[in-house]
Amino acid sequence: MDDTVLEVRNLVKRYDGFTAVDDLTFEVRRGEIFGLLGPNGAGKTTTIRAIMDIFKPDEGTIVVLGRPPGAARTRVGYLPEERGLYRDLKVLEVLEYLAELKGMDRSRAREQAQKWLERVDLAEWATRKVKDLSRGMQQKLQFVASVVHDPELLILDEPFQGLDPVNVDLLKRLIRDLQAEGKTILLSAHQMNLVEVLCDRIVLINRGRAVLYGPLAEIKRQYAAQTVRLRGPAALEDLPGVARVERQDEDWVLTLDRSTPQEVLRHLVERGVPLTAFEVGTMPLEEIFIAVVKEGAHA
Amino acid sequence: MREIWIVARHEYLVNIRRPAFVLMTILIPLIGLLVLGVAALAGGQAGAFLERQFAPQLQAIGVVDHTGFFTPILPEFADRFRLYATEEEGRAAVRSGEVSVLLVFPPDYVEKGEVQVVSQGSGFDAAVLEDSQRVQAFFVAHLVRDRVDPALRARVAEPMNLVFVGVEGGGAGQGGMLSTMLSIMVPYALSLLLIVTIFTSSGYLLQSVADEKTSRVIEIVLSSVNATQLLAGKVIGLGAVGLTQVLIWILSAMALSGGAAGLLGVVIPLMARPEVFILAVVYYVLGFLVYAVLMGSVGALGTTMQESQQLAGIFSMMAALPLMLSGFMFSNPNMPLVRAFCWFPLTAPTMMMVRLPLTAVPAVDIVGSIALLLLSVPGVLWVGAKVFRMGLLMYGKRPNLRQVWQALREA
Repeated sequence: MDDTVLEVRNLVKRYDGFTAVDDLTFEVRRGEIFGLLGPNGAGKTTTIRAIMDIFKPDEGTIVVLGRPPGAARTRVGYLPEERGLYRDLKVLEVLEYLAELKGMDRSRAREQAQKWLERVDLAEWATRKVKDLSRGMQQKLQFVASVVHDPELLILDEPFQGLDPVNVDLLKRLIRDLQAEGKTILLSAHQMNLVEVLCDRIVLINRGRAVLYGPLAEIKRQYAAQTVRLRGPAALEDLPGVARVERQDEDWVLTLDRSTPQEVLRHLVERGVPLTAFEVGTMPLEEIFIAVVKEGAHA
Repeated sequence: MREIWIVARHEYLVNIRRPAFVLMTILIPLIGLLVLGVAALAGGQAGAFLERQFAPQLQAIGVVDHTGFFTPILPEFADRFRLYATEEEGRAAVRSGEVSVLLVFPPDYVEKGEVQVVSQGSGFDAAVLEDSQRVQAFFVAHLVRDRVDPALRARVAEPMNLVFVGVEGGGAGQGGMLSTMLSIMVPYALSLLLIVTIFTSSGYLLQSVADEKTSRVIEIVLSSVNATQLLAGKVIGLGAVGLTQVLIWILSAMALSGGAAGLLGVVIPLMARPEVFILAVVYYVLGFLVYAVLMGSVGALGTTMQESQQLAGIFSMMAALPLMLSGFMFSNPNMPLVRAFCWFPLTAPTMMMVRLPLTAVPAVDIVGSIALLLLSVPGVLWVGAKVFRMGLLMYGKRPNLRQVWQALREA
């Protein structure tokens, strides 16, 4: 069986002369957690809406589970960025209706809904109205609504947006569990620190264009060697091979340019700079992003 | 198809449980009941008045004759007119309700033409009697009864029994005047019903669309079904809700006013011109579909319920237009303006329902307007779904005309 669950090729979407997504290409493979990352307004939601067949792309092709967008919607789960549920309906009714719309028969929909409510500790709220639930409970319910029909591919648009820390943890655990069950997950986020622990592969987009694409571990390895974190006195300027010096709390973070951490250390030792700490940087994704975007702007 | 059915069932079940729906559905018949109750409590006067208004034909009329012309009463009038020897006896009969009114003919009636009307009601009773053909006939028949033979007497009393025949040969055949009247009234009532259903159902459609839009649930729904299926499901489900409400109102109205009258109103014209009735139902269904889809998509454009309602109001006016023009139509049901409105899909349903019973409508008008309506339903659904989809995903601002146009061009 083909390993590609979702394929986006040369996607372009414009609004009123503004290009929201510009020639975006990536693919999501079976069983992975894929991150669609980028700052607000980068084009993530537009891309996802095109995948969900809510918008038609201006150019490019999208293949979802081997079919055009929309043709496989019953096998896809979707948590939109704009959240909301029927406030006047009972919890179980909402889940049943949404599962039925996704092609599940009634009795199975009810069974699945109950199973999921137990899984997120909402079982005793099944017959209450949605509006009676607390904000945190509604967030959990919203997530359940996207998975209740047992989809193969789950698309989560900014799933951590507005969640309290307890629910962030719960959601991370659920996403990992779903992956263990064999589901494929595409998630978008602008808080990159939240997702970098989850994702197997990512595409990083800025202003509608992909700036980084590939396995997360590889990307981090590639960029990690380019920073150095150290603790010591100031006067680190004009070190050869250092592009940028930044103060972060107690530490200095040096971004390297055509040099290795070993060379930097040698220079520092030669100069007799008294160091209390020296560390080869593991660069957070956010900083990789900033670096890449700046690089792009300079180029 | 399955998705449309699920959406329709969901909308129906959710909306008939809404407090607003239950309240409105019960409130209208309750008000009717209240009016009748007040009338009953206000005692004989109001009650009797209402009774006379609803069934004046069934009440007997008393006669006190000081002229000799009306004694004895001719057999063909004996069922409704009763003779009393003295005014006292007659007044007693009015008081006891045996007769509704008493006509007192003074000895100089033939010279002066004056007749006293004794009644528990108002002067209105006298006016009603003067307009009644049956009472007129009663007078004429008795005045001439010894002068002419019975056949001529009947003609003098009731000179016309008009049977309409259209120039093309169509028209009301058997059934007489009552049937003809009803065959005009029933489609007219149906077109009113269409307008009422459009108003109530479009209210529910607007509400449902606005709810899903403001609660943002719409995006999840649109990821499960496409806009066309959603719109179609809503139209069917909420149309059924509107129809349920109107049916409950009609049934309760029939129960309150005595079911027979209502039933008669449907059956008699059906016997007289079944094709008019069947066509009225066809126009009703097609008209409802076109309007419901329009209302649903227009509803998606507004950012608030009020805004959507204003937009929808434009289309409601179009549905009511033919009723405003019914004056023209009664005078000449085949004039070019009327024909034009009969072809235009938004006015065709109501216009045709009023026009059909009035005249023999050219077959080309009927076939043409139904064909246009049949074409417009999928057309409006297609265009509507596009506008609907765009409107739904625009939060906080209403799309302008250019954006609507752009959405329509993007297939």
